Amino acid sequence: MTLKEKLTQGNFVITLEITPPKGPDISPLIEKLKILKEYADAVNFTDNPSAKMRMCSLAACKISNDLGFEAVLQMACRDRNRIAIQSDLLGAHALGIRNLLVMTGDHPIWGDHKEAKPVYDIDSSILIKLVQNLNNGLDINGRSLNGKTEFFFGATVNPNVNPLMPQFKRFEQKLMLGAQFFQTQMIFELEVLERFMNYASKFNAKVIAGIVIIRSKKMLQFLSNNVPGVVVPQWLMEKVEKLEDSDVEKFGLELAGSIILSIIEKKLCQGVHIMAFSKIGEVEDLLSLIKVGA
Amino acid sequence: MIVTKRKEEKELFSQISNFKSFFLIGCAECASLCGTGDEDALNTLRESLKNIGKVVTGQFVAKTGCQILGTKREAMKFKEEIEQAECILVLSCGAGTQSIGEFIQDKPVIPVNDTLFIGSMRRLREFEERCRACGECFLAITGVCVVTLCPKSMLNGPCGGYRDGKCEVNPKRKCVWIVAFDILEKRGLIDRFYSDVLGPKDWSKGNHPRELYSGSGNSS
Repeated sequence: MTLKEKLTQGNFVITLEITPPKGPDISPLIEKLKILKEYADAVNFTDNPSAKMRMCSLAACKISNDLGFEAVLQMACRDRNRIAIQSDLLGAHALGIRNLLVMTGDHPIWGDHKEAKPVYDIDSSILIKLVQNLNNGLDINGRSLNGKTEFFFGATVNPNVNPLMPQFKRFEQKLMLGAQFFQTQMIFELEVLERFMNYASKFNAKVIAGIVIIRSKKMLQFLSNNVPGVVVPQWLMEKVEKLEDSDVEKFGLELAGSIILSIIEKKLCQGVHIMAFSKIGEVEDLLSLIKVGA
Repeated sequence: MIVTKRKEEKELFSQISNFKSFFLIGCAECASLCGTGDEDALNTLRESLKNIGKVVTGQFVAKTGCQILGTKREAMKFKEEIEQAECILVLSCGAGTQSIGEFIQDKPVIPVNDTLFIGSMRRLREFEERCRACGECFLAITGVCVVTLCPKSMLNGPCGGYRDGKCEVNPKRKCVWIVAFDILEKRGLIDRFYSDVLGPKDWSKGNHPRELYSGSGNSS
């Protein structure tokens, strides 16, 4: 079954996130995919996350699909204008890529090419409209294409932000424009997800919750200070700070595991997405933990 | 107004190192309000040039530096001093510098300032960018310019990067979409705004270079 079929039929899905390599060597990526494909339903490939230059998501998706691990192409608005986005999406479709996660994208100020010109020709709402148009056989200007694409496409939402309502209204707008599923920014507290799902459930949206495995104090600090949109609650910062360094990994794994198990138990949303920043072993451990728990 | 900032001396002096004598032209409009083109700015520069052994043959503050014919007429009064100088230094914006370059073509016309943005002045010489002259004004809808004040020019609400209402790119600033959202809410327009989608924006209205013949009121 494809990711689309699983989500449509109401199955609980586990997706992973991998950042494509910084450089031309794809052998470590291939090794990683061969191991991880046994554990998850699909894998997202990020689009130059935090505006740090990497191999493109499209190529990584093709590599993954060829290995039998269903890929989700992430497409941001930061680096391409509407011509390049449509062109790349048609190319991705021609190569068999069917799943998309669209977003506006982190600003270059966060990245390793701070001097780059930010494009932002369109925002993520318009990008959803654009994909919907492609699926209807039209370009963004409404001109006919020589066929219709068959993209299954999702959008992002950040339930951590304050104030919440502007974020929730955008979620509604994205849903109205045709987003078929949602992936959240990483969450550290079940209550944050519950609060969002309480709102989102009115709309019958398919939501996949973002989860991260905390590995070290340094990593948590990095996520808090260097990754846009990530909000680490103060109590968690303090708790992790008090732990012995050697205990943080175990704590991180258990925290992620307990959040996932609670999501499954309470049927809070339709899946979890283990975000990048994790090592293969950690993801294996976490997913084994869930299997035992569930 | 057009906000300008004087270049670092090091950069300016490296650009004029081959010349000995200079004529200085300021501007009484925006550059004077910025303190980069008034009499004081001209005098300060003259002193700096003298200190490194350069000669200033004369100076004046143009009424409106970017008004080509008017500035040309004013410059005629300083014909001799301009002729004596090897180089013209302009303390105005980039438009003013080029206006002057149009009628003084036999010697280099060099800008002393960098031109930054169209700004509103909050206090004396404190400027904020509010408008980027995109050619398609959405202020009637959003109240504040999201095209300019959002670093991602989001047209439909905030991205997911704001934290406690502050911008992802500059945490000292409030996210403009939180401001715009409040405005829409106070006007009772949230539901109407979000029942549709704004954009895609026609960026071609801001394609450079632009011209305006105000007889028609249309830009091209």
